[in-house]
Amino acid sequence: MSTPVASIAKLLTQPTSGERARQRINWGMRVIVGVAAFLAILPLIALILFVILKAAPYLVPTFFFNNPLDKEPGVLNAIVGSLQLSGLTVLISGPIGIAGGVYLSEFASPRVVAIGETVIDVMLGVPSIVAGVFAYLILVPVLGFSGWAAVAALSILTLPIMMRSTQEVLRLVPQAIREASLALGVPVWKTALFVSVRTALPGILTGVILAFSRALGETAPLLMTARGTNAENWLDFSTTMNAMPIVIYQYSNAASDLLIGQAWATALILMVIALTINVLVRGRTVNSRTA
Amino acid sequence: MAGMELRRVGGMSADTLFRRITGTGLLILFVVLAGLIVAFVGYSNPLWTIQSPIEFLTSSTWSTGTIDESGQTVDALYGALGALFGTAATSLIAVLFAAPIGILAAIFLVEFAPPRIAAPLTFIVELIAAIPSVVFGLWAAGDLSNRLRDTIEWWIASSFGRFLPFLSEDPESPAADSVFRAGFLLAIMILPMVVAVSREFIRSVPISLREGYIGMGATKWEVIRDVILPTARIGLIGGVLLALGRAIGETIAVTMVIGNAEGVPSSLFQPGQTVASKIASNIGEASGEIAIGAMAALGLSLFLLTTVISLVVRVLVRRFAVTGGRV
Repeated sequence: MSTPVASIAKLLTQPTSGERARQRINWGMRVIVGVAAFLAILPLIALILFVILKAAPYLVPTFFFNNPLDKEPGVLNAIVGSLQLSGLTVLISGPIGIAGGVYLSEFASPRVVAIGETVIDVMLGVPSIVAGVFAYLILVPVLGFSGWAAVAALSILTLPIMMRSTQEVLRLVPQAIREASLALGVPVWKTALFVSVRTALPGILTGVILAFSRALGETAPLLMTARGTNAENWLDFSTTMNAMPIVIYQYSNAASDLLIGQAWATALILMVIALTINVLVRGRTVNSRTA
Repeated sequence: MAGMELRRVGGMSADTLFRRITGTGLLILFVVLAGLIVAFVGYSNPLWTIQSPIEFLTSSTWSTGTIDESGQTVDALYGALGALFGTAATSLIAVLFAAPIGILAAIFLVEFAPPRIAAPLTFIVELIAAIPSVVFGLWAAGDLSNRLRDTIEWWIASSFGRFLPFLSEDPESPAADSVFRAGFLLAIMILPMVVAVSREFIRSVPISLREGYIGMGATKWEVIRDVILPTARIGLIGGVLLALGRAIGETIAVTMVIGNAEGVPSSLFQPGQTVASKIASNIGEASGEIAIGAMAALGLSLFLLTTVISLVVRVLVRRFAVTGGRV
């Protein structure tokens, strides 16, 4: 790597005959990076089109309201199960994660912040299968294959996400607002809750929704914990539950075309839910940032 | 002033109570991490009574053994070399494709694209990250995998494969699944992460550095090559490492296309397995302390790998932050 001074000197002494070559390289690279950007979005387009194509014949209205053992195919129990598992996951990891994020942002000493952020980094990197194995080893022997074990595995994955996003948005709250509140004699806890957290609330909720969406798409931990079932399970987390990713994975290996078709249809439902959540949440964030 | 009064709850000021409640949140995260470490070390421990960790890392034989007349399990050997090889091969293939394309795409988004194009493109790339991995797996198993087999894989096998055995494939009957296809799928899945992180670091290069160089007559590309890439280098490496960590841990999509074959494959175009896919497909059958211990050992090695990567990235990024990008 040449130093800037050497590079500048090189530029100044360059003969003009090289000028056109430099411009040509510049244009060439412009084309190359443009092609790279196109290649980056190509898979998304291909994937969405292909899933829609495969799923369309199976996506009849009854598919949403029937269960696997009914006369007409359906995945109601998987949709219901996925929403319950992800919902309970954010209900558990949400408050804990937000609390930890508030502590890191408002109270912790620099030393604790450094340790806490390192632990969050490590936990964010934990593969979902590791969380699944953990629940399988520790909880499944006690609770059996159950919604609780699945929620525990998913919570391990969403907890650091919640904590990181809470801490990040609280960092954006101007220090002056906190100082103004404290100067008026408002206690520290009220300042943290009704000034800092209140100001950052939209961002914190965005984190909760994204964590929900992440939990919705997890597969490997669910296969070892909730296991899947043909029955419709409402709020009984002590037994097996079905979920959309489980259906997709299990039906994708099936011998019958009908089941494989249902895998595609379920994949489309799951994908539409995940993409809608992300479009809504991110679109909102972008707007509020520019406003 | 009304706000000055110290309300006491159970002999503790409200401030202290609030502090403890929120601190408990952080403490729970610490406990979960400690729990993970203790559980994986503890559960993998029985395995080391019948074999050494060296054998685990260097043998490619995975055998639950046989039961002799006295009811004892004999000849059990759990060697993870095949799985470790698959994890290394798939994630390196993924990075090989995703790193250059991701960094170049990020350069386009930050430096070349007009805002009207850059904003929606960035948004679309981020959406890739929102698609669940099982959907990627289904798509790859149903469509992408065959396309790769007939294009890139066929091309590599019929050119380089002639003299490089690990890239060879029988063109008449290509394997139904392959390590290469799993790696390529991972490349697509980690691409948004490479783009997002690279974009942030490229954007953070101070505008004055660019202006100075442009003022001296440099072209846009020369600014990128001589100023932006060297300045953002550490961040870009960090982003690629982060993506590598993601690729190492990815489970279900890989399981659906890699073929889950034992041992070290003779060629990248043969079926194989990764540590994660092996856990996913074998854990249901594992019974008994030692077989479960082998599963825990696989989990532990994944956990250690990703933890080391997370820590390295943290050190790199911190160094970038301290020097303010001026390395």
